[in-house]
Amino acid sequence: MFFCITTSAFSKDIVVARKYFQSFLGHVHQNPNKDSSSLTIVQCSHSVKILKSKNKITDWSYVQVGDDKGYIQDELLGEKRPNCFQQKYPKYYLGLELDITEMYFWGRLYDQYDQGRSRIK
Amino acid sequence: MKNLLITFIFLVTSSSFSQESKTSDLTQEEREDSVVDYSNIKSVILNDGLQSEKEKKQELVKEIKSQRGRISSNRHNYPSADDYWSMLSELWLVKNAQVLRWDFPKPEYGLNIAFQQLLEKFGYYNKAFKILIVNTPTLTHFSLPDGKNSFIFILSLPFMRSLDLTKVDISLLMFEDFLRMENGFFITNVEIDQKFLGTNFQEKKLDKSQLKNALKKYTDVVFNTGFNFQQQYEVTKAVDQILKSDPALWSAYFKLYKKLDRFIKTDLLYKNYLKIYPSPELQLQWLSPKKKVI
Repeated sequence: MFFCITTSAFSKDIVVARKYFQSFLGHVHQNPNKDSSSLTIVQCSHSVKILKSKNKITDWSYVQVGDDKGYIQDELLGEKRPNCFQQKYPKYYLGLELDITEMYFWGRLYDQYDQGRSRIK
Repeated sequence: MKNLLITFIFLVTSSSFSQESKTSDLTQEEREDSVVDYSNIKSVILNDGLQSEKEKKQELVKEIKSQRGRISSNRHNYPSADDYWSMLSELWLVKNAQVLRWDFPKPEYGLNIAFQQLLEKFGYYNKAFKILIVNTPTLTHFSLPDGKNSFIFILSLPFMRSLDLTKVDISLLMFEDFLRMENGFFITNVEIDQKFLGTNFQEKKLDKSQLKNALKKYTDVVFNTGFNFQQQYEVTKAVDQILKSDPALWSAYFKLYKKLDRFIKTDLLYKNYLKIYPSPELQLQWLSPKKKVI
């Protein structure tokens, strides 16, 4: 009994921040790798708990979304709630009638994109 | 008698509950406005200045109602042009994921840095872009709109490998695609009726046919019709002019077209290239300095 309590106390992750998902749709990955399996799909503006990670991983955050704990790329997370298509045009978005496969692929797009921006002069 | 009393109490409580649930959506001001009746004590109200207070409250209620109406109406808006093109391009990529085969493991090629440097070199600042590598030869290179100052570039991995393209070559092809987008050629060629953009469909039914039609036109332009000679001429001349300030890059661009011209004439897999981008042979002619006849 004592052993169970201590292990569960140690395995509890510490929430260090809360961020918002910035892209249209995306995935929480099992490992900090774009091709790692998806635990769940997150929508734009979704609030994400940033957990303290044991190992420091560059460009990735260890997160909790609902009951799932996994990894999201840093560039897809932001401090401010974004102005998302889904919120701006909710009825039109519903009219797109995306099925689960399409939502999966839409999330994968943001894993596969190689993004850039020329600087502001 | 006892039963009658219980039934009466039940009816009274249930009616008060249903009344409460109906009014729960209203704000405090709206509820007050519907309850208070000042008509019997009008003179006293006037003397106390309560009449003006009532008028203020009524104004407030009017404003709340109009705002609520506006919020409800805004939920039925069609997207603005920028939001629409961005959504449509990605929706087209999602719907064509199986044909384009872009969801496959790949290393970081560092193309974003090479292209960013090229844009900055020629003074194209604050331009956002997304590069998507596809694992198919059915599409060689293409750019799609992604809203204001933002672009999506699609590059075929088999095409890049077959031609043994360097980062500079690929950046130059992307730069050409970028200028096509800046000139609005793609949007012109897909010929989508844009009148509905930014309008509202609260009173009408959402027109889903326009979305299907737009996706079909995307497919048609990307795979079949591409760009016309005039558009190709304008783009080639624009790239020619811009690159002339950097002879090394201009030379790389010219060599790239020589290689491309030879390649598409020999490799049957890319026979459709000419339908999309007519034609490398002509582009070489447009790029070549005119020979003087003495």
